[in-house]
Amino acid sequence: MPSDTTGFWTPVALSADLPAGTVIPARTPAGSVALWRSEAGRLAASADRCPHRGMRLSHGFVRGEALSCIYHGWSYAQAGNCLRIPAHPGLTPPETIRVAIHEVAEADGVIWVAAGVPASKPPRLDGLTPLRSLTVLAGKDAIETAAGGKTSPDGLVETAAGAGGVWLLAADDGQTLVHVLVRDDAGTKDRIAASRAAESLRRRAENLQREGIVQ
Amino acid sequence: MKLYDYILSPSCYKVRLMAALTGVKLDLQPVDFHPGLEHRGPELLALNPAGSIPILKDGDLILTESSAILVYLAAKAAAEWLAGDKPEEAARVQQWLSFSGRLTTSLGGARLHEMLLRPGDIDALQAQGISALRELEAGLVEQSLRGRRFVAADRPTVADIACFPYVALAPDGGVSLDPYPAIRLWSRALRSLDGFIEMPGIHRLHELKPEPLIETGEA
Repeated sequence: MPSDTTGFWTPVALSADLPAGTVIPARTPAGSVALWRSEAGRLAASADRCPHRGMRLSHGFVRGEALSCIYHGWSYAQAGNCLRIPAHPGLTPPETIRVAIHEVAEADGVIWVAAGVPASKPPRLDGLTPLRSLTVLAGKDAIETAAGGKTSPDGLVETAAGAGGVWLLAADDGQTLVHVLVRDDAGTKDRIAASRAAESLRRRAENLQREGIVQ
Repeated sequence: MKLYDYILSPSCYKVRLMAALTGVKLDLQPVDFHPGLEHRGPELLALNPAGSIPILKDGDLILTESSAILVYLAAKAAAEWLAGDKPEEAARVQQWLSFSGRLTTSLGGARLHEMLLRPGDIDALQAQGISALRELEAGLVEQSLRGRRFVAADRPTVADIACFPYVALAPDGGVSLDPYPAIRLWSRALRSLDGFIEMPGIHRLHELKPEPLIETGEA
């Protein structure tokens, strides 16, 4: 990933997998986040833990412009401040009740979450369309070996002969989130083929990892 | 139509859900599955020698396989839940109906092990469950590339209802659903259907209900 001394971006999900009015879990090097999109389409990422009872906020729900916890309905704004505590309807929640938030960016169909404060924007994926994300229980080396290519500074791996598309990697402690990208002009048949090739490459990478052939 | 039912059984929930979605009225007969093992007692073994539930009894007809029960309810009340006359769609419905049996043995086995301490190799059950979830995820990705939101068509069919409960309850067996974005979208689409009902562990989408109005003023 492009990284500097102050922060870096991790590609955590595809835009198409987060419609308006929904929340999903995502992994970043800075910890688990609840990634959500408001009804109006505004993106936000908060720590995946409600400060009230520790429930995962990614199990919650989005109504209007707020993220609510599934457990007792505490609601949070994009800025992380608590908006509402249903059991105390007359109370304006104090400023001290907040969830930690992360900067979010979206471009070319991919959603990125910042760890720290990155100096630049996430890389652009010119000419590529995201297809799907899949989790591979293997590290970057095993994936590069399986794919037959090296990772670019932007985190992109070109699969051998391009049959599996181009992979955008987000490595994380023993597992890697892979976003499969195809050329913008790929037809339905090519897209289905790239998805199937990604399944095969995942099997190979996980076998390599299991057999300890690469670390 | 009488359903021998257990509230915590995902297979019984398939039948209750299908009936709710198609407007069929069921006469529910609760079975003391745990801890009473009533499904292994003489009365229910007489209906189903396999000793499993659900059992659907409609006059002389006794059905003991949940997929067959789903097909029966749909054929009686809402044929649009069955495959149409296209060979590919008919085959896809059968493919995922059969596949749902693997969800029951893998994810369902892991869940019984974790919740009711049923003996079994939990690591193997979870690994088989993950491999089934990956198959479903890949299948749903391909369907979405073909412009279809559900496993066999662009409308929900009995095959979706057959697969949904054990998938949604995978975390009960210690299998995370976090890594499957296509399954997440599919689960939302199913839970958004008119007439959707819950079971313990599978809730409706709160955001589809209006925000509850609460009296202001501290108690």
